[in-house]
Amino acid sequence: MSIGSPELLEEHQKLQDGAIEFAQSELGKDIIRRDREEEFSREDWRKCANFGVLGMPVAREYGGMGLGITEVIAVMEGLGYGTSDQGLLFSINAHMWTSIMPISLYGTPEQKQRYLPRLSNGEWISANAASEPEAGSDVFSMRTRAERRGDHYVLNGTKTFVTNAQVADLFVAYATIDLRLGSMGVTGFLIERNTPGIVISKPLEKMGLRTSPMAEVVFDECTVPVSNRLGREGRGVAVFESSMEWERGCILANYLGLMKRQLERSIQYAQTRKQFGKKIGKFQSVANRIVNMKVRLDTCRQLVYRIGWLKEHGKPATLEAAVAKLHVSESLVANCQDAIQVFGGYGYMVEQQIERELRDAMGSTLYSGTTEIQRNLIATCLGL
Amino acid sequence: MSDPSTDQIKEEMRQYVLNEFLPGEKASNLHDDTPLRSSSIIDSVGLLRMIEFIENRYTIQVEAHEAGVENFDRIEDIATFIQNKRGAGA
Ligand SMILES: Cc1cc2nc3c(=O)[nH]c(=O)nc-3n(C[C@H](O)[C@H](O)[C@H](O)COP(=O)(O)OP(=O)(O)OC[C@H]3O[C@@H](n4cnc5c(N)ncnc54)[C@H](O)[C@@H]3O)c2cc1C
Repeated sequence: MSIGSPELLEEHQKLQDGAIEFAQSELGKDIIRRDREEEFSREDWRKCANFGVLGMPVAREYGGMGLGITEVIAVMEGLGYGTSDQGLLFSINAHMWTSIMPISLYGTPEQKQRYLPRLSNGEWISANAASEPEAGSDVFSMRTRAERRGDHYVLNGTKTFVTNAQVADLFVAYATIDLRLGSMGVTGFLIERNTPGIVISKPLEKMGLRTSPMAEVVFDECTVPVSNRLGREGRGVAVFESSMEWERGCILANYLGLMKRQLERSIQYAQTRKQFGKKIGKFQSVANRIVNMKVRLDTCRQLVYRIGWLKEHGKPATLEAAVAKLHVSESLVANCQDAIQVFGGYGYMVEQQIERELRDAMGSTLYSGTTEIQRNLIATCLGL
Repeated sequence: MSDPSTDQIKEEMRQYVLNEFLPGEKASNLHDDTPLRSSSIIDSVGLLRMIEFIENRYTIQVEAHEAGVENFDRIEDIATFIQNKRGAGA
């Protein structure tokens, strides 16, 4: 089945159609139970790896597919349309944008050689450990210390909200070499799961995206070789921000597919459900909700694909990524609420799966910088 | 690049800060001793960009331990730091 995106180039459309077919036939089985029980599917992760999803943005020389960002967006949109397991896609996004991408951009040739093939072929899962209990939006005020001792750094501190933590083989972590340096002390590290001193201390139960694991991670005298530093000492902000720009732009691409599927379902329901002797779609207030869903979807798609275009043409996309992140996340939540309202009481029932979509959507206004932080960023870019 | 004087560096840095962080502000309002970090004119990401600009423009390398407020809060300190680094590297 095709989403029918006339503005996609033929080759992008083909990729997307393949992704939809794959996701519909292979992913998201038993999602209602797995959501309830917070069960991550390693099997589906492997299937995604075999299909090539995990290595999409990775250069071919490191075992990836070397796709451009627009192609990646098209595939993610297709997966979002084809599967109901948005938790799995969230875990994949975290893996791609906050681990694979910074390693691709800032890793040494040895680091790329060691990690990118494993992260692309599904053998390893990665997690990003930046947030701390006292450092959320103000993430560069982090207090996790990295003390240099000879040819090692020793890390001590607590990270929270770490997506994929329980299943991760590699952590892209950030710590400061000196609190007095402020953000310029923050440094990136690649820490393998079997490194002594990593403790997955507390699993975190979430409102949505429940098939994506999350936990608190403690570094307790965690000894990391200097060769596992990611980027220059004190340049963690650059590493983190580069991954954030990709993440803000692309992490919501799968939700374009979800919004499209929700819109189709809502139209179909409004065309068949009758009350007061009429199809509910004939009531203007119901139709208007669906119209709003359509307008939001179309504007969101333009904003996300604009990032693809900008990045592929080597242009900066800081402002545009923040605009997209803000608008898509808020639109997604609004569309989920509208879909529930169109479905009436049935929309509120677990069986219809729209309530889960709303729960999944709510996180999008928080992660990768909250809605408020995106507004701050946009205002700054506008010179305010 | 011919060797710029400390005053030239100050002017270049003033223009950079005005363009990047204070569009519309008059140059006369940005003094050599205006605090940039502690007054929030420049945030974490802005500081990083400024340091990358300095590294490229003056072909110096700023080490992590040199990037604190003592060198990067005021235009006069930034200019002195750049001159010292360039002198040390020459
Ligand atoms: C589903 C999910 C997955 C996540 N995955 C990861 C992960 O893998 N790795 C990781 O490191 N982190 C992760 N996070 C953490 C996420 O990045 C933080 O939740 C986010 O940065 C906000 O920090 P906080 O929760 O501490 O909220 P706070 O920063 O305490 O914010 C609380 C409120 O204050 C507002 N606020 C704060 N500062 C400002 C300001 N300057 N101006 C206006 N309003 C402001 C916020 O917008 C928010 O409304 C995840 C979060 C979620 C929800």
